[in-house]
Amino acid sequence: MFEQLLQAILQGALLGGYYAIIAAGLSLMFGVVRFINLAHGDLSILGALITLSLVQILGLPVLAAIAVMLPLMAVIGWLMHMFLFERAMKGGFLLPILVTIGLGAALQNGMFGIWGSDTRSLGASIGSLAWSSWYLPGGIILGKLPVLIFGTAVIVIGALHLMLKRTGLGRAIRATASDPEAAELCGVDARQVHRAAAAIAVGLAAIAGVFLAMRAQITPYSGPAQLIFAFEAVVIGGIGSLGGTLIGGIILGLSQTLGGLISAQMSLLSGHLVFLGVLIWRICREEKLAHGGWRAGLKAVLGLSSKRRKLASGDLS
Amino acid sequence: MTYKTNKGGLSRRSFNSLLGTAAFATTLPTLSTQAFAAAGDTIRIGWIGPRSGPLGIFGEADNWLAGLLAGTYANGVEISGKTYAVEVLMTDTQSDPVRASQATKDLINSENPDLIIASSTPETTNPVSDACEAAGTPSVTTIAPWEAFYFGRGGVPGQPSPFKWSFHFSFGAGDFGPLYVDQWNKIETNKKVGMLLPNDADGNAIRMGLIPALEAAGFEVFDAGPYENGSSDFSNQITFFKNEGVEIINAFPFPPDFPVFWRQAAQLGLAQQLKIMQVAKAGLFAAEMEGLGELGYGVATGAYWHKKFPYSSPATGLSSAALADGFEATIGKQWSQQAGANAALLDVAMAALVASGNPKDKAAVAAAFGTLVADTAVGTVDFSKGPVPGVATTPLVGAQWTRASEGPYPFTLQVTSNALAPDVPLTADLAPYKIGG
Repeated sequence: MFEQLLQAILQGALLGGYYAIIAAGLSLMFGVVRFINLAHGDLSILGALITLSLVQILGLPVLAAIAVMLPLMAVIGWLMHMFLFERAMKGGFLLPILVTIGLGAALQNGMFGIWGSDTRSLGASIGSLAWSSWYLPGGIILGKLPVLIFGTAVIVIGALHLMLKRTGLGRAIRATASDPEAAELCGVDARQVHRAAAAIAVGLAAIAGVFLAMRAQITPYSGPAQLIFAFEAVVIGGIGSLGGTLIGGIILGLSQTLGGLISAQMSLLSGHLVFLGVLIWRICREEKLAHGGWRAGLKAVLGLSSKRRKLASGDLS
Repeated sequence: MTYKTNKGGLSRRSFNSLLGTAAFATTLPTLSTQAFAAAGDTIRIGWIGPRSGPLGIFGEADNWLAGLLAGTYANGVEISGKTYAVEVLMTDTQSDPVRASQATKDLINSENPDLIIASSTPETTNPVSDACEAAGTPSVTTIAPWEAFYFGRGGVPGQPSPFKWSFHFSFGAGDFGPLYVDQWNKIETNKKVGMLLPNDADGNAIRMGLIPALEAAGFEVFDAGPYENGSSDFSNQITFFKNEGVEIINAFPFPPDFPVFWRQAAQLGLAQQLKIMQVAKAGLFAAEMEGLGELGYGVATGAYWHKKFPYSSPATGLSSAALADGFEATIGKQWSQQAGANAALLDVAMAALVASGNPKDKAAVAAAFGTLVADTAVGTVDFSKGPVPGVATTPLVGAQWTRASEGPYPFTLQVTSNALAPDVPLTADLAPYKIGG
């Protein structure tokens, strides 16, 4: 039993690395640009399909294909923000959501038009890396690919963190995130910063897509299912916090594998339940801060504030 | 003789599909119907299928097959002394059951087809059959377990069929038991079977039906429990199978979940202890195996059609081998089971129209199915001997993906068990699973 528990914890944490990568771009976009990109999952599939074509048609090695694909996807992100997202954001909070839903549908069907509906996978192109593993003492088995994905997640998110803290672009991004107007007054071009963030976010989505294509198989329609995991990891980890996204991904992965220990049916469900629990906890905490204390906050959440109670009992007069 | 795609406006998806894979559809010959005078002399078959969307791979051969049918009946078909032109109206479901239902209704209302045909997965066949039943238009469907067609739409065992207009021929969920027992007994194992069944309609139906059948045949079955489709992690199931020491695994996964499970099974050392990996639902197409790479060689599956089937398709005029070769030449990919399965659908459709005596009379066409016996690419389809009224069964064979001895495709599908279809020749012995084949 102990061994099984340990195995579930390790597998869950490693799975969390994948969730963290796909969530990081979403988190960055939301934290910096205040923009929710519902086509994030579809963009990750686009990155994966481009990589697949470079590998299978041009015969590039996988790493070289990724090196070609990433700048391309970043440019796509930059241009999309310039021509689409910026304009959508001027139209209120609903328009960006509708625009990205539409973009997602257009991407899915565009990819179907180009690549067809065949399922594809990069797993065959990376040879035994896709399925071989390290055997550690104590019966612990670590798959090489999950470890690679987890390591990449830590490195990528760590590098982003350093970039945000140490570089000029990072300072500009943080300044724009906290107050775009004030940042502009200090000479930061907020629009360029937003475009740069979008480029990084789409690049991150593409890395996640490549990893998905290695660990699973993809079709042009695989994106939306991944978006749900990305959202959950972002919310669990704290919206806009990159380090939190890594932790959020790991918590999501762990809750899925540990839930699966209880019952096979609990696997995905427990991930969703943890997500809901964290969401409710966050709302309650907001209310607590707003109303000065847990009791008043919870009352406000449950709609039991004293005023409403009076209304209900009819003694307001 | 006309061949045309649905003229219901150019939708976003059909525009994309025109751009992409199905571009050749527009270049198919469009012959004039003038030679056959009045419109009353044209038989109209509505073919509704998934040609875009996640199930699009099932409909890959459709436009090509419709073109073949057009060629066979270029001079019309003679029924009871009268010659009719044959027109096929192609409609895409976009892999969406709601869209399939709507497309069927639209087609019936706008084109008044004499017969509607549909193929592949209950998500396609059930909504199409329901819409035809409601509109009083005869329909015949295939490639979905017949239990899903009959019981899944309100048929009750032991009672008269509630369906007047919709007919179906396919393998059944009950075929898996005898097929697997035969296939698995071909090699020495400890007879311990791990079942990986999702929490969906198929998974639960198989859990109720197949597990008792396997246990009755002497296998010890370990069910890892119902999991949700779209899972990213199977480590708990894998550990369970490993600890129980199973040597056979039988999975009915949602296709995208299979590589996730199977790669993780290899990572955690389960694949190395197995002798048979038997998968259904997934593993139908060579593309899935190519995505698995080394892990794909040796995966066992079932087949509802194979290029070695010793049958021909009268409606397309091709033998099974010629269908497979034609598919590869036209589509540019390795042949898939859909080529023969959907050719058989056209065979049954034409046989019913001919047997009706009057294809323009919907009641006569529906009545023809009661006793219809048709030669098809999947063998003889006999509606008079069905398990329930209006249903005919077709066989499944056991199969295994192995390394192709020659190119251009890396995988080849070997027939390894023919217990349900003794006419089909075995092409190889079932080989114990080994990574790399």
